[in-house]
Amino acid sequence: MGRYLLKRMWHGVIVIFGVTLLVFVVTRLVGDPVKVMLPLEATLEQRAAFEKQLGLDRSIPLQFLDFVGDVAHLDFGDSLWQHRPAMEIVFEKLPLTIQLTIVGIGLAFFLSIPLGIIAALRPGGIVDRTTVFFSLIGFSIPQFWLGLLLIVIFAVKFHWLPTSGIGTPTHIILPAITMGLPALARLVMMVRSAMIDELNQQYVKTGYAKGIPFWRVVGVHAMRNAALPVVTLLGWEVIRAVAGYSVVVETVFAWPGIGLTAIQAIEREDLILLQSIVFTVGIMVVLINILMDMVYTIIDPRLKLQ
Amino acid sequence: MSKIRKYLLVGLLMSPICVSAVSAHAQEVTIALGSEPTTLDPQLREDGGERAVNDNIYETLMARRPDGSLVPGLAAAPPKLVSPESWEVKLRDSIRFHNGEPFNADAVVFSVKRIINPEFNSEQVSFFFTIKDAKKIDDHTVRIFTEGPDPILPSRLYWMKMVPSGYANNPKFAEAPIGTGPYKFVRWNRGQDILLEVNTDYWAEKPQIKKITYRFVEEPGTRLAGLKAGEFDLVTNLLPEFTQEVPKATHVLGLEHPIIILNADAGPTKDVRVRQALNYAVDKKALAEGLYEGFAQVAQGQLLSPSFFGFNKDVGPYPYDAKKARSLLKEAGATETTVEIIGTSGRWLKDREVVEAVAAYWDDVGIKSKVRIFEFNEYLNRLFDRKTRADAIFVVSSNELLDADKSFSAYYKAGGIGSSNTDAELAGLIDKARTETNVETRASLYHQAVKRAYDQAYFVWLLNIEDIYGMSKRLDWAARVDAKMLVKEMRVIE
Repeated sequence: MGRYLLKRMWHGVIVIFGVTLLVFVVTRLVGDPVKVMLPLEATLEQRAAFEKQLGLDRSIPLQFLDFVGDVAHLDFGDSLWQHRPAMEIVFEKLPLTIQLTIVGIGLAFFLSIPLGIIAALRPGGIVDRTTVFFSLIGFSIPQFWLGLLLIVIFAVKFHWLPTSGIGTPTHIILPAITMGLPALARLVMMVRSAMIDELNQQYVKTGYAKGIPFWRVVGVHAMRNAALPVVTLLGWEVIRAVAGYSVVVETVFAWPGIGLTAIQAIEREDLILLQSIVFTVGIMVVLINILMDMVYTIIDPRLKLQ
Repeated sequence: MSKIRKYLLVGLLMSPICVSAVSAHAQEVTIALGSEPTTLDPQLREDGGERAVNDNIYETLMARRPDGSLVPGLAAAPPKLVSPESWEVKLRDSIRFHNGEPFNADAVVFSVKRIINPEFNSEQVSFFFTIKDAKKIDDHTVRIFTEGPDPILPSRLYWMKMVPSGYANNPKFAEAPIGTGPYKFVRWNRGQDILLEVNTDYWAEKPQIKKITYRFVEEPGTRLAGLKAGEFDLVTNLLPEFTQEVPKATHVLGLEHPIIILNADAGPTKDVRVRQALNYAVDKKALAEGLYEGFAQVAQGQLLSPSFFGFNKDVGPYPYDAKKARSLLKEAGATETTVEIIGTSGRWLKDREVVEAVAAYWDDVGIKSKVRIFEFNEYLNRLFDRKTRADAIFVVSSNELLDADKSFSAYYKAGGIGSSNTDAELAGLIDKARTETNVETRASLYHQAVKRAYDQAYFVWLLNIEDIYGMSKRLDWAARVDAKMLVKEMRVIE
């Protein structure tokens, strides 16, 4: 187990370094913050002075050396846009995204298990077909549209919830639902199909024959075997939420997390902040993957041997 | 316990309702900005969010009326020219900063020196690069020295916020600002909001609104929803297509001018007849109505609004005349020539749509237009390319000082960062106007420059875009030409 973890961590380091390197190369190839940040009418001299101030007048190899040093120190310097340490911004914004992910994806996970199981008990029945129908809608809806729809209904029409921002616990409800709904739809489908597979296995019949109660057969024996693909999907959903959905959801709901910050950093060509975000999110993705691997071995001890 | 919990839950569910109910009766307003300030130091950044907040906390020596005319602010009278390179400013008496520090000559000298200090590295320095020094004459008189004669100094002073000389050195200064303005800083919850309250000791007329909350919402659709839900009283940059949906809207001719820069030195546009034809070919009024729902006006054949210094009222737009365009092209032997037009997408309101519409108008009179839309950075490479100028480049020029110098130096003057002509005479006029301190002479120089560029058709002047703000029913305010949201000019009506 220890050696296995070490190997996974080593792989993780390579992945993170690769991703950050890619960001370094791509941003410097396509972007020039000086051009974007100064007013259009600024003169060439003003541009040159600003470039020097940002340290972008040095050659790319020199900048790359700095960059490698930054990675080693886990510090990429000051954000070009906000003029304070980029990592400070990341650590200020990240908890809000994690909060949103936990509530949104957590809700999706806990709802998906009973819904998926109920649907799986009678494949083709009315409950099953209804669940499948709504799941299809759930993961087909574009997330930004879903968010705006919820705002229009619950905030503009009924005034039950605030339209955007943070501050009170009610502020998280709509963004969390927006983030969780497509995940819920996918998770329900996964729980359902995994359970249908398991419920057709011989050991389930054996269980009933031995007189084990229904809830134990389904909830303990079958569920445990069905859990593996569900956990895989859950890990994927968490990663997608932090590194993907957060951009859309946070923009729509003005939720000041890492996703919104990433978009703002891109718009302002803030290479330093963008690097810091990609680096941090990269670490999170790797950690979540390792965590998932560990959960696998708990669910299915056979995996330890491999 | 369970009872308490129940009440708590009900309370939580009701809280947004309570919030909107509270803001509905008291004299408080909530303003939604597109972006959160990066700092509240008023002299450091070029940052629209910061400016929107600090315009209510800080003041400047010169101010503007809502129509754009320049009037004394913290100065007692307009600056007087004492020698070609120095101006004398008399200050108003007995004004204090929010922390009690007196506003006097020391504060002015400190503010000027701070912002022009190269080590301070202010992004606003392009507004003040002509200012060399400032000296105290007595407690309420300051002299400001410029590098060469600088007739725009009074306009520049309208952009320079006055900071307290003592407190500005405090490390907290950028997070908890102290100014002389009608509103005092209360609290900044990063990522969430900024709160201001009225300054009861304000030296001029006391504002009616007592409290301001700024919220930061990047997505225009969400800003609109917040306005409709009653959470916001004022939202910025309302899209023209949303004006029918909001409770109220106010709009005013803004600072932005979309134009097309034509290459006067090479290619098909070298011929003045072709350039004129490209002007005649475009129905500007239809663009204003079709693309901006009428929230734009046809530009007056110059890169200036009527409120700007240098505006020539004797020059008007090229009329829409497709027939004339065709005959001019025929005369120049330029029918069926290819004209490449460069644009970008998503940077300015309707940028791509304007370029495509213009290209269609050109095609209509027998030009073969070639539209090339680039990502903003790549677009800037072409706009700033000094070696090979594209035939036609779309750009939106914005002019915060309301003075011809900035836009003309950048686009009209040969060698300017976005100019496509080598007209020495035009450049001479602009250079001369830059240092001419006699107001009338200076205005006449710009009038000549406007006329010359118009006759030579160096640009296709398109529109002057209006700024649109969405407002709640209870807010009463008329938008300003300089795009400042001064809450002291707003009223809550119940």
